[in-house]
Amino acid sequence: MSDIEASAAQQEDIILELRGITKIFPGVKALNNVHFQLRRGEVHALMGENGAGKSTFIKVITGVHEPEEGQIFLNGQEVHFRNPKDASAMGIAAVYQHPTSYAQLSVTENIFMGHEIMKGRMIDWAAMNKEAQALLERLNANFRVTEEMGALSVAQQQMVEIAKALSTGAKIVILDEPTAALTANESKELYRIVDQLRDEGVSVIFISHRMEDMYRLATRVTVFRDSQYIGTYDVDKITTADLIKAMVGREISDMYPKPEVAIGGELLRIENFSRQGFFKDVSLNVHAGEIVGLTGLVGAGRTETMEAVCGITKPDSGKVYLEGRELSIRKPKDAMKAGIILLPEDRQRQGLILKWGLGRNVTLPIQEEMANSVFNNEKKERQVAREYLESVDTKAVTIFDAASSLSGGNQQKVVVAKALAQKNMKVVIMDEPTKGVDVGAKAEIYAIMGDLAKQGYGIILISSEMPEILGMSDRIYAMCKGRITGCLDRSEATQEKILELSME
Amino acid sequence: MAGKSGRTISAEPRGTVKKLLFSWESAMVLVFLGVILLGNVISPYYTLKNVFREMPKYLSEIFIMLAMGYILVLGDIDISVGSIVCLSATLACIADNAGLPFVLVVLICILTGLACGCLNGFIASHFTELPTMIITLGTQIIFRGIAEVSLGPGGSISLQNKDAIKLLSRKIGIIPVSFFVVLVFALIFIVVLGRTTFGRKLYAIGSNSTAAKYAGIDVQKIRWIVFTVAGTMAGVCALFFLASTYGASTTTGQGFEMEVIAMCVFGGIATTGGKGKLIGGFFAAFIIVCLRIALGQINMNTQLILVIIGAMLIVSVLIPAIGNALRLARKKAEKA
Repeated sequence: MSDIEASAAQQEDIILELRGITKIFPGVKALNNVHFQLRRGEVHALMGENGAGKSTFIKVITGVHEPEEGQIFLNGQEVHFRNPKDASAMGIAAVYQHPTSYAQLSVTENIFMGHEIMKGRMIDWAAMNKEAQALLERLNANFRVTEEMGALSVAQQQMVEIAKALSTGAKIVILDEPTAALTANESKELYRIVDQLRDEGVSVIFISHRMEDMYRLATRVTVFRDSQYIGTYDVDKITTADLIKAMVGREISDMYPKPEVAIGGELLRIENFSRQGFFKDVSLNVHAGEIVGLTGLVGAGRTETMEAVCGITKPDSGKVYLEGRELSIRKPKDAMKAGIILLPEDRQRQGLILKWGLGRNVTLPIQEEMANSVFNNEKKERQVAREYLESVDTKAVTIFDAASSLSGGNQQKVVVAKALAQKNMKVVIMDEPTKGVDVGAKAEIYAIMGDLAKQGYGIILISSEMPEILGMSDRIYAMCKGRITGCLDRSEATQEKILELSME
Repeated sequence: MAGKSGRTISAEPRGTVKKLLFSWESAMVLVFLGVILLGNVISPYYTLKNVFREMPKYLSEIFIMLAMGYILVLGDIDISVGSIVCLSATLACIADNAGLPFVLVVLICILTGLACGCLNGFIASHFTELPTMIITLGTQIIFRGIAEVSLGPGGSISLQNKDAIKLLSRKIGIIPVSFFVVLVFALIFIVVLGRTTFGRKLYAIGSNSTAAKYAGIDVQKIRWIVFTVAGTMAGVCALFFLASTYGASTTTGQGFEMEVIAMCVFGGIATTGGKGKLIGGFFAAFIIVCLRIALGQINMNTQLILVIIGAMLIVSVLIPAIGNALRLARKKAEKA
């Protein structure tokens, strides 16, 4: 009884409601009869695996897609959005993970793109700069409105996008994976801004794969799975396990299947690695069967150090030993030949050729080993590609599917298959392997990592995600400002200790 | 070795015959046959013998086209090749006039091209932030400048020892020797790009040079090699150019770069890199050559021929765009 009363009382507060939304693309039901309610001044998380329909749903709200069925109510009134302009005119704005900004224009120009303040037929620059300045001050931003957009960090660009949303008088702001590209500190700054928006009465829809974000920000969470509405829950009343089950549709008993492996002899040792401006005096080692976490804030020099180890860049000084023998690594091929394989951080730019089929991607580094003299052995390549893609359980129909057609998690599996196909692999360096990957695929990648450790490979896991570092690593190195600040054993590592070492 | 889910992935190529039939390259073959037919309709002199007789002066550009295809696949461009032809031909003539033996003249012609290409490649691979359009614009001016200085006030030079170079303009039956040489080079270039690990690397670099680097490909070394090959082929072009003109001037090779780029693009090789096949460029080259001969035989004005070739190029790049537009329109119609 009290529940009904409570929900009746809240009826007044519903700013946006979607009922029975169905969106059909040729051959696919992207959304199947989904519901959604957003209260005024609420931060509402929207969660689900990649392909669950979140993005399509957002596009329905912002007027990019028109749904085949269903109704949209704004402040209790039914509305029809025929295009993004309609939605924007009614106070709905979206901020995407990778801001779609004009890199060569100023912050002011970006904020007012499309709705410039005019004085007669001319742009009123003074008024626009003033207004932009006011917006930035409101968000507590530490850069000037005259700065070029391209010179700003991703976090700052996002702030500009949020300012842009506010400049149109948005009452509903949608944030699509806003923290995916941010450092821990930058995420905190974003949290503060979201809190502020909420306090000012703006309603926020928040999409994220990070549980951390949801717990910190949202009061309610709506879960989609396989294009369907699963449920809406109060964040403080649902356990993580139940939430994951809602998203994945099955229970993940052990998110971090860290195997008990007898640690073998030393595989890789790095001594006194330095590169001016990036990292200094870095020394670390990895043993057979060991998973070594390398953590720290983004910009601490973790990726840069490992790229130097792999010959992508040249260090100023330092030595690399593999199984006790010193290596001379001048180019990426040298490291690969020795058996040090890097799974790069940005799989879309560094790890894959998106236009190419999966098979070609997997065999690119080993095409020469399989070739008949100088000629490609296409038949053998197809076989090998298929074998490794299947071994990591890639969700694909044929090896000729374009890499761009896969979800983030499956793209990562292709990158893993590409590494595994290099048979001489001894040490594998995984740089943020679960970035932008949904929770189901994350668990699969951890399982692969565990298998590799069992088979005696040495693994270096670069990650900013604390649960993953704590869950998977045998030892954890923390880096800060280009230096190793400490090494913790699995048994002694805690979130607090790591943070302390990372921040200094 | 299927994964935990037991899901399998197909590795059987399907629809290869269909793909081949509906490819840009097969369209090229059809257009080629169309041009031959057109020639036979509009000109009574369009016989095999006559076409082969007029062919040599157009053939030399095809050598450069082959290498330009590689450069475009890399996502680069080289607009200095016309100037390299000028410089190679000029220095070869000067060597000939100085009385050097023919073998040395040939060597100088080709090595000049190689050196020029090597310079382009060196700059492109060591100053990677510079666009190759700008680098080769610079060297284009430099190479032609050197040739002009070497040529002196007269602005032109002729070969003295014409007998030796005539070896290259001889015929076997009705077919010129240069035609066979072009065929051999084309075969090598096409096979290397399409079937070897080296060719695959070019496509990888053109599609995503960062990912290529992370996959262990020495991107800059390969770019250097390809630019050097392009220069060398410009030298080979200069040699065959001399065999049909017996001399060089300040305007030798002018516009060659644009003509060979046009052949490549017409043949389906994208200037954005990573896309297209050299066999397309090869057919495109012969379409243009055979069309020129046909239109030349009916005494069409040279400028007008250029207008027609330009229009063909525009239409060819528009076809995919028109196709996309039609598909979009159809989708919209279905929606409504």
